Amino acid sequence: MNVGRSLGYGLGGALVVAGVAGLVVDARLTDPLGWALWFGGLIVAHDGVLVPLVLLAGVAVGRLREPSPVRAGLTVAAVLSLVALPMVAGIGRRADNSSLLPLDYGRNLLVVLGLIALVTALTMIAVRLRGSRRRG
Amino acid sequence: MRDSAVKERVETLMRGVPGRFTSGLHSERVAARLGLWLGISFTVAFATGLFSHFMQHPPGRLAWPSRPVGLYRVTQGLHVIGGLATIPLLLAKLWTVYPKLWQWPPFRSLSHAVERALVLVLVGASLFQSITGLLNVSYAYLWPFSFPAAHYWTAYLLYGALVIHVVNEWAKVRRQLWTREEVEPREAVTTRRRFLGTVAAASGLTVLFTVGETYAPLSGLALLAPRNPHTGPQGLPVNKSAAAAGVTAVIRDPGYRLTVTGAVRTPLALAYDDLLRLPQHTVRLPIACVEGWSAEAEWSGIRLRDLAALAGVAPDAVLTVESLERGGGYRSSEVRPPHWNDPLTLLALRIDGAPLAPDHGFPVRLIAPNRPGVLQTKWVSKVVAA
Repeated sequence: MNVGRSLGYGLGGALVVAGVAGLVVDARLTDPLGWALWFGGLIVAHDGVLVPLVLLAGVAVGRLREPSPVRAGLTVAAVLSLVALPMVAGIGRRADNSSLLPLDYGRNLLVVLGLIALVTALTMIAVRLRGSRRRG
Repeated sequence: MRDSAVKERVETLMRGVPGRFTSGLHSERVAARLGLWLGISFTVAFATGLFSHFMQHPPGRLAWPSRPVGLYRVTQGLHVIGGLATIPLLLAKLWTVYPKLWQWPPFRSLSHAVERALVLVLVGASLFQSITGLLNVSYAYLWPFSFPAAHYWTAYLLYGALVIHVVNEWAKVRRQLWTREEVEPREAVTTRRRFLGTVAAASGLTVLFTVGETYAPLSGLALLAPRNPHTGPQGLPVNKSAAAAGVTAVIRDPGYRLTVTGAVRTPLALAYDDLLRLPQHTVRLPIACVEGWSAEAEWSGIRLRDLAALAGVAPDAVLTVESLERGGGYRSSEVRPPHWNDPLTLLALRIDGAPLAPDHGFPVRLIAPNRPGVLQTKWVSKVVAA
């Protein structure tokens, strides 16, 4: 094993140990059980729910005649929806502070998704026109 | 007999799983490219996160410089907006390597088992940091832990596991990205570029629709940002309202005095009108929140160093600014010498010429350059020198 490798393992291992030690020592604040539920829950939700759904969507889109623009459009739309979801749900709104989450996020997300749909549709039309010109 | 037959069928089934992922994008080349991008963005997030942590909890007598004025605003903007932009990269990377989750046998040796355990830590910590981070900036506190503590310690876990992962995979990254010579079919190249382009577009649009919460010229595009830098009392966002701090009545008390005590030559007790009679200065400074948003305003009030001189405070003293707020983790903050000696650091009485709104800290609040918003103490009633 060369020096760089050992140094990397040493540094990485030390950081992992520091992280675990901090989570345990600071238990009053980090609530290790609650932390572990979130840590494990997110892995399960991602590997067991989100990715299988994405794979199913991928299979469905693959049956289309011109899948790539749709695939790209759906990917971007899904990611932006995920990022916007907590704001759309408005969980963090507070009556005493109107500067928190001040916008109509449901409407804004629809605007964003509309733009993505528009660009996707235009791309599909362009791809088709190019295809027919080539054939003609 | 039947047991071994069942076992054999399960084995055959499991061995076949990875082969069922037919997309050419589940490749080492794509994983290497996305891994490189992720390595860079996690490094930026770790560095800016540590910067923010140690700015709020400086070890020993360490004193941060008060300039450049907007440094914290930039580092924390990078941390939060960059963190949001990392979400698409992370999801794409995990999708690319998903078939490896189903490799059979799951563990070929002890070292392989340790390697996979550390990958599990890396995946879990990455998802934890991104998703709880996203929820936290959206004020959705759906957990039993303290977010700053959990986010801080999990960062070490993530970065440690990342360093080990990079050591293990570095040869592949080099081979795939720099030293590769074989010729690929044109279609494979197009498909890969399209995929990486899509991921980059998702990241770019995430930035485009959120960065306006800290970069005001783009605030009109901040459709998916939890804040607008122009929305709030006096056109400025608020983190903790006067009502939430439980100070609505006490800040209106006519007996209010700002006291300067501790290691001073002359202790002071100044009424609001006394403060208005002291030399007033106007500065343009941002409030830069740890949640990534920032907003600039014109603040007027008295220089903290003028007040300290009036009370006869030694130039190397540490000042503690205390709020009328009874509890809460941020009811007081320390102001170390570089900050309180800076002429831009004020005990502000006004925003854009008007007295502070209760939510912005009436009667008096601290405002200093290059400093996290949570340390810009509001409803100030006491300055203690030590």
